[in-house]
Amino acid sequence: MAQTNPPFMSGVPELLLLRLLDQHEMYGYELVRSIRKVTGEAISLGEGVIYPALHSLERNGALKSRRKPVGGRTRVYYALTGKGRQRLDRLQNDWRRIQGGITNALELPSHA
Amino acid sequence: MPRPDFGGLQARLLRSGLSPRRVRRTITELDEHFDDLVDEAVANGDRVQAAERRALQDLGDVHQIAALIDERPELRSWACHHPRIAILLYPLACLAVLPAVPLIAGVTNATYVGRWMACAVLSGVVTASIMLLLQLSITLT
Repeated sequence: MAQTNPPFMSGVPELLLLRLLDQHEMYGYELVRSIRKVTGEAISLGEGVIYPALHSLERNGALKSRRKPVGGRTRVYYALTGKGRQRLDRLQNDWRRIQGGITNALELPSHA
Repeated sequence: MPRPDFGGLQARLLRSGLSPRRVRRTITELDEHFDDLVDEAVANGDRVQAAERRALQDLGDVHQIAALIDERPELRSWACHHPRIAILLYPLACLAVLPAVPLIAGVTNATYVGRWMACAVLSGVVTASIMLLLQLSITLT
């Protein structure tokens, strides 16, 4: 039976956040800058929307956070947990499957 | 000076059932993010007011952020998920904590309590010294 596709566009920020945090811990502003950089500014979010996604991932155990004072400001750094790594693997597989499906569809011959 | 309406956002998030602690953290993170955006724009040559306008735009509409939080019920507080149990348990918890309130107040205001105690001890020593002197003067005369 074919797997039901997740609402993949709404899952994109989550996938990107998990993937970036798999490298090292980061705080919100740093994450937004990294998303812009790694996607070549193809994905641009209202930057504040990152926080509901981060908090939700943390609440579900995919991320952990710690406060760290830096230059007179209190940064909340996020890091991936074991559960988050599993979730990232699952999301990456889902994304690759969808990407493969769309690539196949785009490669269909068009009518002349 | 254009700044996001964090006061309005705070009120809305509390009404949505988020715990005060989560609301405080969300506002703090957004506030810090806004300041980072302003600093970046200023560093890139913008004037402060222009930098703030740009930061406001980049951060996004606070109502949109609130709407996204509303879509995530897992962010709501325990009391919001179980209001009946919360109504039952909160008064009991308050009654249980009540006897410890003086102790908590003492620990919280330890500096003031310490000063007060030092003053009381000092005045006691002064009073005792005066009385001792009086007693000595009576005894010796």
